[in-house]
Amino acid sequence: MSGSSAMASEAGPLTTAADPASLTSASGDSEQRRTVEVDSHTINFGPQHPAAHGVLRLILEMKGEVVERADPHIGLLHRGTEKLAEYKTYLQAMPYMDRLDYVSPMCMEHSYVLAVEKLLRIEDQIPERARVIRTMFAELTRILNHLLNITTYALDCGAITPALWGFEQREHLLEFYEAAGGSHYHVNYFRAGGVAKDIPKSLEDRIGNWCKQFPKFLDDLEGLLTENRIFKQRTVDIGVMSAEQAMAWGFSGPCLRASGVPWDLRKSQPYEIYADLDFDIPVGRHGDCYDRYLVRIQEMKQSLRMMEQCLARLKPGPVKIQDNKITPPKRGEMKRSMESLIHHFKLYTEGYHVPEGATYTVTEAPKGEFGFYLVADGTNRPYRCKIRAPGYAHLQAMEVLSKGHMLADAVAIIGSLDIVFGEIDR
Amino acid sequence: MADSIETAAPSKGARLQALGEAVRQALPRATIESIEVERGDELVLRVRRDGLVELMTLLRDGADFAFEQLMDLCGTDWPEKPLRFEVVYNLLSLSLNQRIRVVVATDAATPVPSIASIWPNATWYEREAWDMYGVVFEGQTDLRRLLTDYGFEGHPLRKDFPLTGYVEVRYDEERKQVVYEPVKLTQDFRNFDFLSPWEGMTTLPGDEKVHLNRIEGPKPQGTEA
Amino acid sequence: MSGNTDSIAWNREHMAPGPAQDAVIKGITGEIEEKGFVVANLDKVVNWARTGSLWPMTFGLACCAVPMIHAYMARYDLDRFGIIPRGSPRQSDVMIVAGTLTNKMAPALRKVYDQMSEPRWVISMGSCANGGGYYHYSYSVVRGCDRIVPVDVYVPGCPPTAEGLVYGIMQLQKKIRRTGTILRG
Repeated sequence: MSGSSAMASEAGPLTTAADPASLTSASGDSEQRRTVEVDSHTINFGPQHPAAHGVLRLILEMKGEVVERADPHIGLLHRGTEKLAEYKTYLQAMPYMDRLDYVSPMCMEHSYVLAVEKLLRIEDQIPERARVIRTMFAELTRILNHLLNITTYALDCGAITPALWGFEQREHLLEFYEAAGGSHYHVNYFRAGGVAKDIPKSLEDRIGNWCKQFPKFLDDLEGLLTENRIFKQRTVDIGVMSAEQAMAWGFSGPCLRASGVPWDLRKSQPYEIYADLDFDIPVGRHGDCYDRYLVRIQEMKQSLRMMEQCLARLKPGPVKIQDNKITPPKRGEMKRSMESLIHHFKLYTEGYHVPEGATYTVTEAPKGEFGFYLVADGTNRPYRCKIRAPGYAHLQAMEVLSKGHMLADAVAIIGSLDIVFGEIDR
Repeated sequence: MADSIETAAPSKGARLQALGEAVRQALPRATIESIEVERGDELVLRVRRDGLVELMTLLRDGADFAFEQLMDLCGTDWPEKPLRFEVVYNLLSLSLNQRIRVVVATDAATPVPSIASIWPNATWYEREAWDMYGVVFEGQTDLRRLLTDYGFEGHPLRKDFPLTGYVEVRYDEERKQVVYEPVKLTQDFRNFDFLSPWEGMTTLPGDEKVHLNRIEGPKPQGTEA
Repeated sequence: MSGNTDSIAWNREHMAPGPAQDAVIKGITGEIEEKGFVVANLDKVVNWARTGSLWPMTFGLACCAVPMIHAYMARYDLDRFGIIPRGSPRQSDVMIVAGTLTNKMAPALRKVYDQMSEPRWVISMGSCANGGGYYHYSYSVVRGCDRIVPVDVYVPGCPPTAEGLVYGIMQLQKKIRRTGTILRG
């Protein structure tokens, strides 16, 4: 309770109450006086609010400090990705995918390359090593994403230390990104037909060493949060979603599993090498904010297991298909062979042509089912590139989740949904 | 060998085709225009507008279909077709682990029945489709713009909407507010036409004569023959 | 602001830590012990105070917000520059525009900027804020946040690394040190 009022006053300078008089009457003893007038007022939460996880604008209709209605206004980061992708070749559109869900860049690339590979009909020709590398980095990205989500979520609930610790681990993971793809954050590493280039030799050992120390960190993180009284007070039984509701609202990923639905695309509709990996699916029971947190913590442990299995499966070999109509030739070859030079030139000006067709390809991204509805018309550019973002469906349920809760709980709910506006607004 | 495997377990494409036929059988009216299995992997039903709600209710509630989740709903634009827009629904069944795609054709004037009563999360998707393409959804009470700017005009994902739009914003020192004005680019978007490299080439200065001759050239030949 | 203060080195330029700086500090301490006060240029003192506690408004719009948070966290630790992120524009000196600014967001950005108290600075972080970047030709993106607010420092990159942002902040400190804050006339 005390936490709630603290949050409300913290939100003060940026929020506006429609009628200040009603605010005071609501916080006073209005219930005893039994006034007939409607004392609800509207709070404009955001679009610039430290707890909004980006540029969310939430119009909250409040009764006192209780949320009556929540109307999220999105689109404040609408960058027109889908339109821009129609004007770029398939390869040029790749980096836009990094910037969708900017907390887990490689998973976004993953969905996109799988969709393009399906349309190119090369999905079963991808070399083993490329598939292992892609799976490993997808899982690494999952940890990257959950680390940011859990730690900033804890920050919203008043715990600062997890963020300070968690971001150090993220720094290590971003170093691996840099080693693999050359860029620190938006790596643009996956390609239709494999990955851009092989990982350096030392990287396997570095990732292996990192994997060894990570469980210790996870224990420390859990020690800070899992049994923390304040954290539990802020999250247990807040924003409860039943399994039926979660399905009806199109939930996916950790949010769906926290509601008790054992559904994971990596198990049920396996792609890449997930069918051969040994991992479990953590499932929650209550569907509240706390369960969503617990599921994410357990998922990190499973991701770590998968990363170790991937490391063990890494065998030397090619990392992209040998078809030079789709993947570029080696630089050395370009110095000798005219054909390679032409291939390279064509690939980086015109790009590859994708045969007509449409696909709805999904992956289990850290936030849930991330899908591409990709329509190709036989040219070198996507005809339509619809991005199915998991956060979009989750945020839509904001009203159902926050109804009857206090204003401060709305912040906890937003944090637990793992909202990132790059993918929601696109 | 290959035959025996196929008889033991029907291929994914055949299974999906059977599923599509089952949907057709279960419907009292002829709502389904075509059943298609793309690349033996994805089932696509093209359906008529008027039977959409009936079909969707069946897909969600039918024991053999059980598509509990609407995963995606989006528009596509085909300006050269008589019914210009398509609304694409991607459904997922968690209990039977199957997917289906339902496609409805429409144009800017004809509304598509809303399915927000079947899946509550359809509201935002329908709002987005309205915002991006101007597809109207009948029965959708909350058809506001979702992603574009407040007071935005036009439907940006239509193929005839320019990439850079019509307006851009700037802070006006005199009026002390953010103002909208027509787009003025310092450098145009370089849009290369790779499909017809020769036809796409514009006439360079000095080449006018050559191009005129070329266009006029074949004409007399054609009349002679 | 009298002439004899020129003898104190830190009045003229920024000094790195080391024996020279120690000597200055010793000199000042000696002076205070003798006279009970120290004479310095007022605007230099003001600038020193300002550069030492730049409180940025956290305006995380998009991807660039993540490296920005990284810069605040343990490894880069902007706290040691006296930089503490603030959630309220009234309390902040500098706004870091981190990410793509869209048409829909532009009025809100300007409003936050207007609410900041003088003196205020703006750091534009990343290609999108600098000039639209990868989204330059989009129908919904502002082609550079300098169309909306005056920018002091541009940090390039997509996104810039946390080091890049720290360097940008140091450039801003340099700029603040150079400006005369007290009008002479």
